[in-house]
Amino acid sequence: MMPESDKTVSVLPVDRDLADRLTEARVRLNLDEARRVAALLGRPPTLVELVLFDTMWSEHCSYKSSRSVLKEFLPTEAPNVLLGPGEDAGIIYLTSHKGERWGLVVAHESHNHPSQVVPAEGAATGVGGIVRDVYCMGADVVGVLDALRFGDLTGESAERCREVAEGVVTGIWQYANALGVPNLGGDVWFDSGYDDNCLVNVVAVGVVREKDIVRSRVPKVAADEPYDVILLGKPTDASGFGGASFSSAVLSEADLELNKGAVQLPDPFLKRVIVEATRQALAFCRSEKAAIGFKDLGAGGIACVTSELAAHGGFGMDIDLDREVQDGGPFPAEVVACSETQERFCLVVPSRLSAAVLRIYNEDFELPRVYPGAGARVIGNVRNDGRYRVTYRGVVVVDAPVTVITEGIRYDRPSRPVPPAGQPASLPPIADFAELVLRMVAHPNVASREYIYRHYDTEVQARAIFRPGEADAALFLPIPGSPIGVAVSVDGNPRYGRLDPYRGGLTAVAEAMRNVAAIGATPACLTDCLNFGNPEDPEVFHEFRESVRGLGDAARRLGLKGEPGAPVPFVSGNVSLYNFSATGRAIPPSPIVACFGILEDYSRAVGQTARRARSLLVLVGARRAEHGGSIAADLLGVSGGQPPTVDFDHECSVLYGVIDAIDRGLVLSCHDISDGGLIITLFEMLVDSELGVRLDLPTTMFGLPWMEALLSESGGFLMEVVEDQFTLVQSLFERQDVAPMVVGVLHDDRTIDIVAGGERRAMIAMEELTAAFRRTIPELMG
Amino acid sequence: MDTPRIAVIQFPGVNCEYETLRLLVECGFLATLVRWNEDPRRLPNFEGFVLPGGFSYQDRVRAGAVAARDPIVEALKLEASQGKPILGICNGAQVLVEAGLVPGPDDDGPIVALAPNRMPGRGGYYCRWVYLKVNKAKRETAFTSRFEEGAVVPMPVAHGEGRFTARDEAIFEGFVDTGQVPLTYCAADGGPAAEFPDNPNGAAADAAALTNEAGNVMAIMPHPERAAWLRQVPLNLAGEWGERRQAASRNRVELDGAGPGRRLFLSMHDYIRWRRERESSPAPSGTTR
Repeated sequence: MMPESDKTVSVLPVDRDLADRLTEARVRLNLDEARRVAALLGRPPTLVELVLFDTMWSEHCSYKSSRSVLKEFLPTEAPNVLLGPGEDAGIIYLTSHKGERWGLVVAHESHNHPSQVVPAEGAATGVGGIVRDVYCMGADVVGVLDALRFGDLTGESAERCREVAEGVVTGIWQYANALGVPNLGGDVWFDSGYDDNCLVNVVAVGVVREKDIVRSRVPKVAADEPYDVILLGKPTDASGFGGASFSSAVLSEADLELNKGAVQLPDPFLKRVIVEATRQALAFCRSEKAAIGFKDLGAGGIACVTSELAAHGGFGMDIDLDREVQDGGPFPAEVVACSETQERFCLVVPSRLSAAVLRIYNEDFELPRVYPGAGARVIGNVRNDGRYRVTYRGVVVVDAPVTVITEGIRYDRPSRPVPPAGQPASLPPIADFAELVLRMVAHPNVASREYIYRHYDTEVQARAIFRPGEADAALFLPIPGSPIGVAVSVDGNPRYGRLDPYRGGLTAVAEAMRNVAAIGATPACLTDCLNFGNPEDPEVFHEFRESVRGLGDAARRLGLKGEPGAPVPFVSGNVSLYNFSATGRAIPPSPIVACFGILEDYSRAVGQTARRARSLLVLVGARRAEHGGSIAADLLGVSGGQPPTVDFDHECSVLYGVIDAIDRGLVLSCHDISDGGLIITLFEMLVDSELGVRLDLPTTMFGLPWMEALLSESGGFLMEVVEDQFTLVQSLFERQDVAPMVVGVLHDDRTIDIVAGGERRAMIAMEELTAAFRRTIPELMG
Repeated sequence: MDTPRIAVIQFPGVNCEYETLRLLVECGFLATLVRWNEDPRRLPNFEGFVLPGGFSYQDRVRAGAVAARDPIVEALKLEASQGKPILGICNGAQVLVEAGLVPGPDDDGPIVALAPNRMPGRGGYYCRWVYLKVNKAKRETAFTSRFEEGAVVPMPVAHGEGRFTARDEAIFEGFVDTGQVPLTYCAADGGPAAEFPDNPNGAAADAAALTNEAGNVMAIMPHPERAAWLRQVPLNLAGEWGERRQAASRNRVELDGAGPGRRLFLSMHDYIRWRRERESSPAPSGTTR
């Protein structure tokens, strides 16, 4: 069924009931793949090996469909990268503080399938998994963000969609709040394209001293002294068995019950204690000057984590599963080897230090007492010969050169262009602009998210400077005592991706960068999670390719400020495919991008709320007739058309001009133009202020009638500027080849007063808009 | 003079210990993290204690209930009886209430509890900056000496079970009368709490904090340690502190200066020094605090 990969292997005879064994073991490898396993091993695989390869070759772990596309399009190298994609998290250089170099550690993943099946546990596990990816680099986790895509809460499946949405939000707060990691922000979209497949993307951010970075591999010095393999955390249970493989499968109603077993059981309390004990254990190893390896257990459990630690270091391992504690067993070997029990890590330390490390977990922090069966134990040792062997009850259940296990497979999937989206959509005549704006602020994809984010602890760790609702990006202090601030935003507009996957990719990057720039931070790196349907469908695969091409083009062409020619690098990411239901309905192409920005002095950041009456509202960024996928188009019944594109040169001038203007103190507040266009940007600047505005517009701007100009979602910014500083702003942007335009003046009345061509066109009371803005989400979700 | 020595008790599952330590150091304490299972005989070496926020023992049974039975809490009771200041924040407050340290032991079992929030139109956890009013006309406590009577002190709440409640409502009125409720939820302008979220959890008597009879042990649900620097105050917060925050934009010295909650810890600092002075020069007979 698949086109053969670039590698040809001779197929050896294998036992005849292979197909039956695959089905019985719920292994999702197809017959060809199972034969390749046999060929690689030179003998029929054991059941444990089949399960292990099933995980390693799942889309989730092997990127078998996506890898070639990622490699082709995504830039991953830049001068600030300390560690690019390939390990659990990426790291960029952040700053030097008191003579030490610090890195920013970032990771981004999805937990879509489990969240659709059991929303609270699925989402909680998503948070639990992504923070482990950052902890295992030796870092402290200082924040998480989540990008959520739910179905239409007013549509056919409203009830189920609401259950999913409520459950996901609950799972996120229950996990992250208890763990003590602040929820910095995120975004939420409601769209019928997610009725059968919600998306739960999670981003974790951490900080680490560069010299304390721990790699996920057996260290080189293990060639010269004995090293032990220590498993620590929850005792192994059967939860999450087959999870990686499940996440690469199609969701059908009938499977929902069955698949619940593939969702892991999260425990933030135990995680918190493990994190504290690990802090001590890593400090102890540093004090002993011992090189170590550290990796979290995720997909594929013990067998995956140990084989990858071994392979990446160029070693082998002996693993004795009898040494692991089981909860609810005795389980068969494949369950012990591959179950995805949560809250576990694997440490590789010199044997001489093992006893002391175990003591930290088991005695100082009493893991076995705070959680029955939890603890740290030695489960194996490092081998020098590259051989990977697992035994259980005296039987060898895995035995292979480790690289055979970890090498993975690739497919080059065919792709077929989707019919083009068609002409630019034009908006029908608008009879009552004020009435349209009132409907826009109440639109589920515009309305206030406060109902959701008040569930999240934004304050723990005491690092927060800007929280959700205060600015376009979250802002926090990564290093106590240092003035440096880090800004984060996560974005991706599904309505654009559906109409034009390439533009969906472009705008996801541009929007995340604009959000970071709008507070005055300079974009430093990106992460992505690529959520798509079935890659075996050539049209879906085309959407995937086009989206990734868009991401790559934007990252390269918008570029790293002050580093000519360097891209804003993608340093970590994840691919989630097979997001389609049994009815064949795939999600819209959903590349979701996080941008991380740096401010050398956090005190220079500006929020989105307007500050002073009589300030000018200044627009930068051309308005264009690209209404496809816009909020206005949706409310006016316009489907199709072209979504906004990114004009790279213009965007660079605008983006970097805004950063400079804020840095120089010329801007009191700033908000980027996105969903709903300029009019919504303006409303959001006013909603938490005590101000209003008088817009004074020409009847036509940028070649568009004034109403269309106010509704266009072309990228840009509104800046609040004190009148006598406007000329300074003008001269700054002149050098950037952009003409800032005064569109209005702030006043003390709570009204939006629209004058075009010298004639009053609308007068909208802020009070009415504000009430509508705040009402929608509590009504839909509460 | 020696720096006041204070311990932050780390129960399994707490998660605010590091920012609490950072703040205590900033306030001039010698602050030490003490794990729950360390030798309780360490405690007499300290002059004050903070029980930080978090989810000790996973909130099993009730928030704070399991930690309240750890041996170290018995040792804390002894320290409390000597008049040393003990502050429990959020989950730490829940531990103090479960342990009977606040409002004090009662023969008929606990008379006060921290119950699940009551919030119109929503449930579960709630995180938001709210306003507290200082009420110390009746008596001074170890945590309020640096505040003016009637001062409005904004700080964040972040909890699911923070509603002070008692076996019967009159009990809380009694605590107000005895000056054991030094901090109450209020409106942004300092007026009485009107509607949600002024009182964010439905607490009896708008109580945000409750002390023991002597005023040296306090359980507080909001987080003063998250309001200890001006930079932590939200840009859009209404009232005097929000205005100060806005005015300090681009002024890092100001922003890195004190926030509204810091005086609570400075009061504790003063109280420890006052205790030292009292101990080194015997007080005239009859003087009590």
